[in-house]
Amino acid sequence: MLEYSILAGLLFGLYFCLVGLGLNLIFGVMRIVNLAHGDFVMLGALGACGLFGAYAINPIAAAVACLILFIIIGFPLYYLLVPRLLKSADPEMLSIILFFGLSQVIESLTTIVAGPTERSIPGNALGEHPVTILHQTFPSAWVVSAVASGVAVLLVFIYLYHTRIGRLTRAVMVHRDEALATGIDVGRVSGLAFGIGLGLAAVAGCFAPFMLGGITPASGVELTIQSFTVIIVGSLGSPLGTVLGGLIYGVSLMLMQTYFSSWAGLLPYLLLIAILLVRPSGLLGRKVRHA
Amino acid sequence: MLRKVTSYLIAGSLLLFSALAAAASAPSEIKIGTLYASSGPFAAISMPVHLGLKLWVDQENAKGGVMVKPYGKRIPVKLVAYDDQSNTATAATLYNQLITQDKVNLLVADSGSVLTSMAVPIAREHKMLLLDQTGTGGTFFTPDNKYIALMSDPVSTIWPKYIADFLTKEGPKLGIKRIALIYATNDFTGTQANAVRKFIQDSHAPVKIVYDKGVPTKTSNYTVLLNNIKAAKPDAVIQMGYPGNDIAFLRNLHDSGTHFKWLFAIYPGLETEHMEKTVGIDGLKYVYTYTPSSVVQYHAESGMSLPEFHKAWDKAYPNSKVSFGFNAVAGYTTGLVIQNALAATKSLDQLDLRDAVFGLSGKLKTIDGTFALDKNGAQIGEITPLGQLVPDGKGSLKFTVVYPSDVATGKPVYPAPAK
Repeated sequence: MLEYSILAGLLFGLYFCLVGLGLNLIFGVMRIVNLAHGDFVMLGALGACGLFGAYAINPIAAAVACLILFIIIGFPLYYLLVPRLLKSADPEMLSIILFFGLSQVIESLTTIVAGPTERSIPGNALGEHPVTILHQTFPSAWVVSAVASGVAVLLVFIYLYHTRIGRLTRAVMVHRDEALATGIDVGRVSGLAFGIGLGLAAVAGCFAPFMLGGITPASGVELTIQSFTVIIVGSLGSPLGTVLGGLIYGVSLMLMQTYFSSWAGLLPYLLLIAILLVRPSGLLGRKVRHA
Repeated sequence: MLRKVTSYLIAGSLLLFSALAAAASAPSEIKIGTLYASSGPFAAISMPVHLGLKLWVDQENAKGGVMVKPYGKRIPVKLVAYDDQSNTATAATLYNQLITQDKVNLLVADSGSVLTSMAVPIAREHKMLLLDQTGTGGTFFTPDNKYIALMSDPVSTIWPKYIADFLTKEGPKLGIKRIALIYATNDFTGTQANAVRKFIQDSHAPVKIVYDKGVPTKTSNYTVLLNNIKAAKPDAVIQMGYPGNDIAFLRNLHDSGTHFKWLFAIYPGLETEHMEKTVGIDGLKYVYTYTPSSVVQYHAESGMSLPEFHKAWDKAYPNSKVSFGFNAVAGYTTGLVIQNALAATKSLDQLDLRDAVFGLSGKLKTIDGTFALDKNGAQIGEITPLGQLVPDGKGSLKFTVVYPSDVATGKPVYPAPAK
């Protein structure tokens, strides 16, 4: 049972890396708290369910489509919401309120359009047979989701560390005003990062029906809380921290389900309290953030 | 002679004044206050109930209103309904508002034990009868609370009796010795789990519970839990949760390749249409479940028959995103209880209404079965037989009622064939 829980936790944790990655990217670049992050994951999930139900489009193809679509949506959304927010006296606090409102709007509109009931995609859409890893059997959808998450994390690393725009993004993450002073188009860089953040959320959403069962318009809130736990445990603004936070969250959840199942629902809050008491900057946090 | 005429005149005048007084004090509408959850984890069980009740309201208003005995006439019904969004704090505020601000004549709870639980003390405090639609938590019904009556589901403390009876009486004959129990920790399924555990333990049958775990109601992934259950080598597994739990459990079971010889879950029976869409036919094959009133055709002496109700539902809610199932029947049944109670009550006083509702016990027969209350207001009628979903040979599933034997329509398939 222990080996199964740990392996399952690593697979589940890889998925949660993907869920938290977009949120961390947005916070790292803009220092704004996207409380609607879980709702974008939910939109990706419902989009994948809709595409599968209507056109039998494979969730992996849906993930690619959602990534492109949400990057395109993210750009104008950034210019609509963020620049004015950043000019305010306390953008971090105001962003909580603004994106909370956006979260409620997204949930309500989605409920009106799609209805309140659960949506899902049959598990065999990502593989007919379970996969055996180290003598333990897991649903193929889990393995596919974990691999997709790993690919997404790798692509984000390549973007940040091996592309020119990624270098500029890291410069903005270190010090926004200095980046502006050196002539970097901070708005364009931030807009692109915002779009990529939403795109990553939507990609995570495409795999949510397999990892989380049925998705409803109300699923966003819980996903936002879980995402925050992952990025705060790892470190705000650090993609590597997100990977670590996701793995810790996944393994802890599976161990809790095995040995203290009734208390498993408290895990995100317990982890948050523990990390804020012991190491508030996160496991990979430093006094000064470096991209 | 003159004295006789005078007496008749006085008697006649008194009668006339009484009739006028009664007519003058008749309300212009009967206000029924209720909540529903259009979003959140309880929307799937709340919206069908709400729409079932609304259908009854619309039908009665089409006839000019509901017959109210104290006034001797039909009075239009106004449904005052608010959306609690599956939030218990919001629900508590709205229940208070319905009583103190809207001053409803009848208070109807939202669906499910979680959203009913905060209505119980509020109704009691305001001395308002709570018409509990589907909240079956055992703690709601106590001797010191006169202000509650359960409409549609059997109370959770007895509802799973047929599951336990099957496992303890028929199970040993089939070779069932080891039972696993997993349940979501809330009033509804927690109470059922406690009940089934007690029935099994008190039976002294040669079966034992080898796995017994509660999980949070928000649990959305059961893969590790399924592995742990498998490690206990059960012959039978009982899963108790809300639709989200059942969907996640059955999907994860199907996707992981794990197989159980006997598996029970609640919502494959209560919301079959919805489960078929989310879990798939394959994931529901051979699952045992409660056989709901939306499948079993009880002889209805009040209200529509099941085919008539289904037709009326499809007409009222075409292209609805809300599935037809047991919960739709439950909402309609609430309306029928209100209709029959108002037709018998002495007044709109809450205790008179309570007497009228309790007076229907054992007598009212609807598409949900026979309405029967114990002295604390818990529903002890309308118990659902144990059924199994089996392939019908045409790519779909059908119910076979397997227990009790007097209503059984077929034999249980055990062990369930591996998928």
